[in-house]
Amino acid sequence: MELQLGLSLSTTHNPIDGSDINNKEFDPKEILSLKPWSHDYGCLLDKKRSFEDAFGKLKDASQTLPLLLWSGHPNDEDDDKREKKRLSCRLSKIHEEVLEEDDLVVGWPPIKSWRKKMLRQRQGGDRIVKNRVAAAADGKENNGGSNSMYVKVKMEGVAIARKVDLRLFHSYQTLTSSLICMFDKSLQLEKDNANYTLAYQDKDGDWLLAGDVPWQTFIVSVQRLELLKNGG
Amino acid sequence: MLRMASSFPEEVLEHVFSFIYDDKDRNAISMVCKSWYEIERWCRRRIFVGNCYAVSPPMVIRRFPEVRSVELKGKPHFADFNLVPEGWGGYVYPWIAAMATAYPWLEEIRLKRMVVTDEALELIAKSFKNFKVLVLSSCEGFSTDGLAAIAANCRNLKELDLRESEVDDLSGHWLSHFPDSYTSLVSLNISCLGSEVSFSALERLVGRCPNLRTLRLNRAVPLDRLANILCRAPQLVELGTGTYSAELQPDVFSSLAGAFSGCKELRSLSGFWDAVPGYLPAIYPICPSLTSLNLSYATIQSTDLTKLVSQCQSLQRLWVLDYIEDIGLEALAAFCKDLRELRVFPSEPFAQEPNVSLTEQGLVSVSEGCPKLHSVLYFCRQMTNDALATIARNRPNMTRFRLCIIEPRAPDYITLQPLDDGFGAIVEHCKDLQRLSMAGLLTDRVFEHIGNHAKKLEMLSVAFAGDSDLGLHHVLSGCENLRKLEIRDCPFGDKALLVNAAKLETMRSLWMSSCSVSFGACKLLGQKIPRLNVEVMDERGPPGSRPESCPVEKLYIYRTVAGPRFDMPGFVWTMDEDSALRLS
Repeated sequence: MELQLGLSLSTTHNPIDGSDINNKEFDPKEILSLKPWSHDYGCLLDKKRSFEDAFGKLKDASQTLPLLLWSGHPNDEDDDKREKKRLSCRLSKIHEEVLEEDDLVVGWPPIKSWRKKMLRQRQGGDRIVKNRVAAAADGKENNGGSNSMYVKVKMEGVAIARKVDLRLFHSYQTLTSSLICMFDKSLQLEKDNANYTLAYQDKDGDWLLAGDVPWQTFIVSVQRLELLKNGG
Repeated sequence: MLRMASSFPEEVLEHVFSFIYDDKDRNAISMVCKSWYEIERWCRRRIFVGNCYAVSPPMVIRRFPEVRSVELKGKPHFADFNLVPEGWGGYVYPWIAAMATAYPWLEEIRLKRMVVTDEALELIAKSFKNFKVLVLSSCEGFSTDGLAAIAANCRNLKELDLRESEVDDLSGHWLSHFPDSYTSLVSLNISCLGSEVSFSALERLVGRCPNLRTLRLNRAVPLDRLANILCRAPQLVELGTGTYSAELQPDVFSSLAGAFSGCKELRSLSGFWDAVPGYLPAIYPICPSLTSLNLSYATIQSTDLTKLVSQCQSLQRLWVLDYIEDIGLEALAAFCKDLRELRVFPSEPFAQEPNVSLTEQGLVSVSEGCPKLHSVLYFCRQMTNDALATIARNRPNMTRFRLCIIEPRAPDYITLQPLDDGFGAIVEHCKDLQRLSMAGLLTDRVFEHIGNHAKKLEMLSVAFAGDSDLGLHHVLSGCENLRKLEIRDCPFGDKALLVNAAKLETMRSLWMSSCSVSFGACKLLGQKIPRLNVEVMDERGPPGSRPESCPVEKLYIYRTVAGPRFDMPGFVWTMDEDSALRLS
């Protein structure tokens, strides 16, 4: 069966435009060339004009597909797909998806994702670094203030971690139950889902059980959280 | 029958071959005759696979049974800019699994843009007893648990380099898995990691590894810990600092300055996150001997940057943000006569208005003042044909020229003409140009220049350029050494591709996204040319559900001897002989 692309030679490649499909002038099988075309062939110069005649010029360079923001915006139709993506995503990718809002065109300007992340962290990071330094210098100074205090939370047995803003909580209980709710929303937890223990990693890198120190002390030293299943 | 090959015993040939390292030379040797092919394949120790899907692990293992070092690249380059959807592929696990049995003495693995899982890392840690080098460049898919396995098990590890990888950073504890008896570290790059490693573990590690020459810390290492680390490794040649910001304190400053002065071998610096000008003088004593400086995360302004680079007379490579401005680049041109590579990154790429005074003039100055400059990556907001022509005439030794003008399709801002002639001058004067990325308003004419002149060009990146298929045709038919071509948002369709189909087998890969290549043409290419994989990526659903004339979203064509791959996600289809059946 002859393959006919039916491309009209002088119009744009607009998929919606069904008019004027002219099969005669362009049979791709005829022009599919299995030998390399030598640019230096003298006859090419003769052919050049006819090449232009035959292929014409596209009217509008921007007649291409709409750019899909695959990494991006909330879109009800794509919920299933996005859910799948999230389940195999790393936290840093999730964070990155949020950051993509600034991009008017996907992947433009061509800056590596890692560098873009660094740029944004730099803008927000100044405050956080300064406050950490201030806290260290001044002892246990209140460095909550207007900063958010995002820490990573991992639930044992769950691939993706989350982030929470500790400023939003006032006690271990509210924190733990909110965390369980948060993980519950996207996953089917097993029965007895109340049997989780909250552990945290402090400034020195040690893992401790949450609840032993006063909340305020905990807030200042916590770096990371993990929900551990009870009973092994 | 006279056997020529036996005039030289195998051992002698093998010994001679052992002095030949370059892949191309090795390939040439293997083609001399059958016996040389046999001898060569048994003694090849290092292989480089530029596209992990071009060949399969069993094929590599069958031919080269005694490999010690493997380098693989996975995803297309445009994956760096989020143009390749997640799940596309590039999984290293099948390679590791195959090599675990075939190459028990494997020493080095270098990967770029591949998906590396913790399972893969654990398999590496347990399978290769003499494992020495792991470089994961722009990789993803693994966590710090995998790193812990490497640290704990690889007794002879010399190099662990995670440059720009996306790591699921569960904790900094993994570093503490290096046993106390472990002392062979030569190079460690953890600059991409977010979480804190234990500083005491880090200091002890640094202190007990006398051969450590490269240490790239991550941002979480505060400035006041840097001096201690440096004091334990005065033999360091390459250093990446952590955060370079702290309240100005005289004692912190003086210990830092003293520590830097003690590092007489230091030649390369990077890091400098959130750098504050007050601490920059700490590095002044070593500036004159620096050959490489990466300030691309440093938020310092042009005055401080100018002062800094003016002291780096030996500088060969500079990566910097556009805070340096034209004035800083003029100083660079005046003081850094040994400069070979310059990269200027945008500090605010998404701002509509320029935030700094960096123009085409800065690049012109450097091209005038630095005779050895041959590699450029430059982000700016305006350019002229004249400036490009001047740069071309100044630097005919240019080999890598990548320009990005923030606004797509920006014309010469003075004449309002396309930048065709400017880039034409580049390819005409720079006869050894290997890599080119273009920017601004460009018509088919620039491609004609490229096809006519860029005979050594191996990699070309094109975005928002050209008028018609003629443009693509010029490149495919004229650039004899073209290996990698990546195109986005250009009005190139079927004809140029089909006419130049045979060219595609001589290249590593072709990427086209948001262009006008129809599904029908893709099918044709895939069916007719057996040793090409023609992969269509389309998140709208199967291409067969739309008319054949409908353009595909993304197209990735690469030559392969391994046939179509089977690890593709749902939005990727391979066009081959069977595709007609599969897609209907």
